[in-house]
Amino acid sequence: MKHSKDPFEAAIEEEQEESPPESPAGGGDDEEGRHEIEQAPEESERDVGVRRQPKKFKSSVAVAEGKNKDEDEEEEEENMEAELTKYPTTADPAKMAKMQVILSQFTEDQMSRYESFRRSAFQKGNMRKLLQGVTGSQKISMPVIIVNCGIAKMFVGELVETARVVMGERNDSGPIRPCHIRESYRRLKLEGKVPKRSVPRLFH
Amino acid sequence: MSSTPGATAAASSSKSKATGSSQAPEKRKPLFQKELQHMMYGFGDEQNPLPETVALVEDIVVEYVTDLTHKAQEIGTKRGRLLVDDFLYLIRKDLPKLNRCRELLAMQEELKQARKAFDVDEEKITSLD
Repeated sequence: MKHSKDPFEAAIEEEQEESPPESPAGGGDDEEGRHEIEQAPEESERDVGVRRQPKKFKSSVAVAEGKNKDEDEEEEEENMEAELTKYPTTADPAKMAKMQVILSQFTEDQMSRYESFRRSAFQKGNMRKLLQGVTGSQKISMPVIIVNCGIAKMFVGELVETARVVMGERNDSGPIRPCHIRESYRRLKLEGKVPKRSVPRLFH
Repeated sequence: MSSTPGATAAASSSKSKATGSSQAPEKRKPLFQKELQHMMYGFGDEQNPLPETVALVEDIVVEYVTDLTHKAQEIGTKRGRLLVDDFLYLIRKDLPKLNRCRELLAMQEELKQARKAFDVDEEKITSLD
């Protein structure tokens, strides 16, 4: 079942024939992609390399699904293929070819993990509730929700990846434990990736 | 644990948002458990992450979004509304996130245009009858 008709692969093949529209962040994204790859732990290096490029796929699906129906279901295969064909990863056909090569060499394990990475997203409805609670206002515009979902997902990525690095340093294995996440969070704070509260949280 | 007396009103509202219980502000109803499990697996955890890990990550993410939104509110307070640009300003130093947000917003625009075009086409088709 390695190179079977996975919706991702099928969609990517179809995309390569289409001429890509101007993708605004295509150029900037590549550099960040490579930069991130160097920092990733060894065992998931290829995963990260693959991940950083095609994040654009995921967003189109997330946006489409969020708009059409706010569902928990992640097996929206028809939706996925349709949306994926419209929005290629980047305007660069060489990039897409590279992606295709990498994807075709994935093991089942890697493909399943990649699939989860692409399909997972925060639900817009829940995010809206959270934002309404925080701001106290009823109307939260859609772009704000979308941006928050995207930022939060990337933050989770940073947390989990740093936690894996921590585990590697401690020679731990198995599922990630809360102590790893706490250490990862501490490190992210030191790097300045976590917004600091202007008023310190008392009695936390 | 009681609500923090020294915190701003906005902060305390975020604590009481969970069904208005003022007694245990940290007891949030899990909002993102299911999605978080898949997300964590996608980013490198096991297929079934530990429940306590997922709960901790959820707490951290909620706190992150809350703090980010508070800061955005402070920036946008002159306008009175919360705008996307405030968030974009806040993550301006974090290039991957910034670029990702730009993509998402651009795609949302494209989808909107596509849907508009779809509606227009539909009208044409029905008018042909």
